[in-house]
Amino acid sequence: MSAILEVEHVTRRFAGLVAVSDISFKLGQGEILGVIGPNGAGKTTLVSLISGTLRPTAGDIVFEGSRITRLGAYRRARLGIGRTFQIMRPFPGLSVLDNVAVGALFGHTAESDLAKAREKARAQLDFVGLGKFAAQRAEELGGPNRKRLELAKALAMQPKVLLCDEVMAGLNLVEIDEVIEVLRKIRESGISILVIEHVIKAIKQLSDRLLVLHHGDKIADGPPDTVLANSTVIEAYLGRRRP
Amino acid sequence: MTALRLGFVIVVAAVLAALPLFGSDVIIQFGINALLLAVLAQSWNIIGGYTGYASFGNSVFYGLGSYGVAIAMVQWNLPFAVGMIFGVALAVVFAFLLGVPVLRLKGHYFAIATLGLAQVMSAIVSNVSVAGQNIGLVLPPLNNDRLFYELSLVLLIVATLTVFWLTRSRFGFGLIAIRENEEGAAVMGVNTTLYKVLAFALSGAITALAGGIHAYWITFLDPDSAFDISLNVKMIIMAVFGGPGTVFGPVLGAFVLSAISEILSSKVTNVAGLFFGVVVVAAVVLMPRGVADVVRQFRKSGWRYFAENLKAHRI
Repeated sequence: MSAILEVEHVTRRFAGLVAVSDISFKLGQGEILGVIGPNGAGKTTLVSLISGTLRPTAGDIVFEGSRITRLGAYRRARLGIGRTFQIMRPFPGLSVLDNVAVGALFGHTAESDLAKAREKARAQLDFVGLGKFAAQRAEELGGPNRKRLELAKALAMQPKVLLCDEVMAGLNLVEIDEVIEVLRKIRESGISILVIEHVIKAIKQLSDRLLVLHHGDKIADGPPDTVLANSTVIEAYLGRRRP
Repeated sequence: MTALRLGFVIVVAAVLAALPLFGSDVIIQFGINALLLAVLAQSWNIIGGYTGYASFGNSVFYGLGSYGVAIAMVQWNLPFAVGMIFGVALAVVFAFLLGVPVLRLKGHYFAIATLGLAQVMSAIVSNVSVAGQNIGLVLPPLNNDRLFYELSLVLLIVATLTVFWLTRSRFGFGLIAIRENEEGAAVMGVNTTLYKVLAFALSGAITALAGGIHAYWITFLDPDSAFDISLNVKMIIMAVFGGPGTVFGPVLGAFVLSAISEILSSKVTNVAGLFFGVVVVAAVVLMPRGVADVVRQFRKSGWRYFAENLKAHRI
């Protein structure tokens, strides 16, 4: 499997705090890579470094063989990196449809015609199951539907890599299964995915490979079953077993 | 836009265009002022209403437009049209030079930083000899109020068409996305810095044209009147009263408030300012999203609309 995204020795410091420390990994073409770790492990920082809303203190990010470390967020979006936010960032005053249309207008396959962009947006809304909310204002959507909206907005950009920051948080079991199904379909359409998730059962089902972060360090990387059985990982989550 | 509404707009524009044929001199002069204020409110709408950056620096563009025309005509003996182009060029250069650093600031910080610009410009121009220093410049008079009226009307139509284009173009959607959530816009591929500066420059160019027309009409300008902060406050009040981020709101706001302020100042001269203040406070409390929103929502919620806004303010 050739890599579409490579993270090379990336470090990010916030004053004295090292949020992400010398992390390297590759995301394969068409792969679903799960990233887990306790709160404060540096997961969201990692996604922000890849999407360009934060710049690394050291290290490099390579997308499709070229270095994108110094590119701004909007240029990375146009190259084909889409992301969702854990703390959702909808355009509250715009209709649900137009929220998604912005993705089609400015994303990887930037569509200059508004009517065509709205057409593409409608298809994405149907895909994530928000079709009937198209005319509502985004601020009127409830929690689970806002998560779906984040996904539809990122998908409308027609990205090559999708970074999902906790798209399942706060959803019930049925809704989680629906999202898993949607993410699988996205992968089938050829998009590589990096998912951050707290719901271990879901991420185990979904991921081809798991990456575990703890205090900004990578402590494990491998097939889900092996990683979840790893004693360092168990320790990070549950603490050290008493002798 | 429905055919009905389009027809209505065309009729209003035609009536306004025909006004000088039967209106008195006083009406025409009032019309020029109201139209120019509507242009200012509409161009503020681009940066403040659509992009979400409450600029207090638009009076700088107005001043640059005024001085562009005055310097070109008085000092260099060039025609009015060349002066207008010169004024727009000054405004656009200013928007790019100062927009890049200033538009990095958000919310109140942006407002305060732009507020300083007008003061600084007034002080600078007072020391530039080609601009007549603090004495000002006197332009060659042109006694043709009808011409100034029609010019102002054409400019207002151009400004309104520009804003209408924003509501259905990629550029406009980029600006709205920035207003709604700037970081969210950037990760979806909007070049936020470029778009903000372009919106600032576009707003500035139209404002400068209004300043140019006003300078030639009044035939005199000095630094204090050209870079007048209260003019900036006026355009914001008018745009916000009418409905920021809508196509016709700012125009409506400018017309209604110009008329109210004109009537008050002729009938009850000494307390006119107070009444105007009361109108603005009442408007902000009862309809914080402007007249345009009242028109949209009134059919649905009726008088409850005002009660709900009142409640939302916890008064």
